[in-house]
Amino acid sequence: MTAPILPLDSLKQRADGDALLARFGRDLNLALIVGDGDLDWLVEIERGVVVRVTKGPLVMPQSDLRLRAASETWARFLEPVPPPGYHDLFAMRRYRRIQIEGDIRLMSAYLFYIKRLFAMLRPGEGQA
Amino acid sequence: MSTPGTHTEPIVGRYLNLELLGRAHRLYVEEAGQGIPLVCLHTAGADARQWRHLLNDAEVTQHFRVLAFDLPWHGKSNPPDGWHNEEYRLTTAGYTEIIRIFCRALELDKPVVMGCSIGGRIVLNLAIKHAAEFRALIGLEAADFQSPWYDTSWLNRPDVHGGEVCAALVSGLMAPQSPEVTRQESLWHYMQSGPGIFKGDLYFYRVDGDLRGQVGDIDTRVCPLFLLTGEYDFSCTPQDTLRTVEQIPGAEVTVMEQLGHFPMSENPEQFRRYIFPVLEKIRKLPAG
Repeated sequence: MTAPILPLDSLKQRADGDALLARFGRDLNLALIVGDGDLDWLVEIERGVVVRVTKGPLVMPQSDLRLRAASETWARFLEPVPPPGYHDLFAMRRYRRIQIEGDIRLMSAYLFYIKRLFAMLRPGEGQA
Repeated sequence: MSTPGTHTEPIVGRYLNLELLGRAHRLYVEEAGQGIPLVCLHTAGADARQWRHLLNDAEVTQHFRVLAFDLPWHGKSNPPDGWHNEEYRLTTAGYTEIIRIFCRALELDKPVVMGCSIGGRIVLNLAIKHAAEFRALIGLEAADFQSPWYDTSWLNRPDVHGGEVCAALVSGLMAPQSPEVTRQESLWHYMQSGPGIFKGDLYFYRVDGDLRGQVGDIDTRVCPLFLLTGEYDFSCTPQDTLRTVEQIPGAEVTVMEQLGHFPMSENPEQFRRYIFPVLEKIRKLPAG
């Protein structure tokens, strides 16, 4: 079993100042749980800005949206050129590799933002 | 004297006025080239701009008269008068009639039809029902049926921006290797679609156009059939296309590497590698 792999501890730095997140995240307030295997992270976004990222274990967190996948799946998602079926959140959903729960209206309205946020976790993305 | 860097493309755009489905329509048509008529059908919720690279490809247009029209309600084709009183829905019968009447109106002699996604699905219906009218048929990202991967009700709601959600959903259908510029251009088409049009097209794709149990009737001796699907397409997966082809003796299938659901627009250079051999085969088909 692969250990948790998503570099969420650096998400705030990666996302800070990103033009696309600023464009598509207007007025977005979101408490997002990201599950990486058994490890949950809480990502808090206010007016489109990632303001806090908290590493689990989390005790009864309030959240709007929860995206959880096995660490093996995230490992392939993070590859510079991900293989088919691992290259997009909905591709992963299509093949039942990710669980998406919560406020689907909010996710639909801000889908570009959410996809961009996850793409920024790939090596080299959003890093100086 | 022209300004350096400027040039005019060989594509010509015109408006074709004709009656479709019992109503007057004004259809926008682009074309380029001479030779075998090749009618290109765009994907759901988009328009014929997807074909601009093929229309501009001199190696294609020296042998083919390439035509691409915007479906009614799409691109620069107006919806019919009274559109504001109805909800748009594409049907199998209606889509089939539009293509056949378009070909007859322009007096195309046994055209080739190439369609992508919903265009690929309807190509299968043309092969089932009207094969003798066509020289060859090409389905891109085509299958007899595909499993839904999202709820289409999210595509047209007052509280979710339709242009952004439609484009964001389909953004993942493209291959990561496709160039950023052509990927973004492909998404721009989706951002510009009219409200509810993508959803209305998917009524055909998801509900009315289920061709399971019918593709076995296709006779490729009457009309050759070529199916090509990108490896990154998770809407019409390569498995969907391969399952379809297994039921059609004589149909040719290709899984295209480093391409997704929009091969002609997301990565035109990569698409050429796959479509040229098909067009060459079609050129060598006996006339009549």
